Amino acid sequence: MKTFEEKWTAWLDGQLSGKELAEFEASLPDLEAAEAEKRDALRLGAFLKEQLATQALSNEEFFSHQLHERIARETEDRSRDRGTSTWWTIPRLVWSGAAALALFVITTVVLMSQHQPGEQSEYLTQILNSRVDPAANPNATIYIFESKNDNKVTVLWTEGLQSLPADYAAK
Amino acid sequence: MQLRPSLLAVFFTLAISVASADAEHVVWSGLVIAENVPQPAPIPPELTTLEQTLKDLFGYNQFEVIGQSNKTLKTGEEDWLANSKYFGLHVDARGENDAGYTLNLKLYKENDVLLETDANLSKSSPLVIKGPQVGSGQLLLVLVVKDDEQAHRRRHADPANPITAGWHRLRRIIHDVLP
Repeated sequence: MKTFEEKWTAWLDGQLSGKELAEFEASLPDLEAAEAEKRDALRLGAFLKEQLATQALSNEEFFSHQLHERIARETEDRSRDRGTSTWWTIPRLVWSGAAALALFVITTVVLMSQHQPGEQSEYLTQILNSRVDPAANPNATIYIFESKNDNKVTVLWTEGLQSLPADYAAK
Repeated sequence: MQLRPSLLAVFFTLAISVASADAEHVVWSGLVIAENVPQPAPIPPELTTLEQTLKDLFGYNQFEVIGQSNKTLKTGEEDWLANSKYFGLHVDARGENDAGYTLNLKLYKENDVLLETDANLSKSSPLVIKGPQVGSGQLLLVLVVKDDEQAHRRRHADPANPITAGWHRLRRIIHDVLP
């Protein structure tokens, strides 16, 4: 057997029907006042539902804001850490070494491909300075040139040196 | 962090091995009398590669070595003498460089200095000096850098080290590019 309060709550929620509804409404002393009270209760319910939903959204936004702040703070810390530490980390050092080695190998291969076996050095003998005794050879002159053939001979050519007798050709 | 000393050690070892790969050289210095004779003697073996060049340059058909010296250069700062009966060629090596050896040469006739010259003798470019007329011939001074025999044999047994060859070419290019 339901009490009056239970039936009143069920009536406000629209849960009563049929004979039960007719008997309950007949038992009310002022149906119009009860209907007005029902409307107020429904309005209040709708208002509360709306307010609670708004509050939940506000919490979500607040949480999201907190998250954003934390992410920004962590990003800032990370960039500050990166600024103070050295660039030469071990992986970078290894990669740099590998890149340098690769560059060396490529350069060597290129240079070797240009260098044919048996090819002579491009350097020629150079005469830095030369002199003869001016007292003994007053008319002596010196020329320097290179031979035009493959031997790359450098020649120091003297003219006007004092001639010597054939005896000086002895071993 | 353990890696850095290891890398440095590897580079240091490579640099040392490349630097020590240079071979010793022998410098052949000769006093040569060039003459025109009806029946020329065969050219001495030391001058075989230069025969045609000498003939073209001086116009003689015989080249006779009257004094010579084979000097193995280890430090590049040795000195030596190639003598004949009346002439002496004193060679004073004053260091090795990329191009060869820096030499001071003095040609003596008995006690008199006939000619003095400073030269950078290249390992691949012989030096020929025309000296005084001697009788009907001509005195020539010839200097040639030869590979040391041991190094020569070693080079024949083992193919040339490509890293060393590349390194030498790189050094030469840098040497050419930089003033």
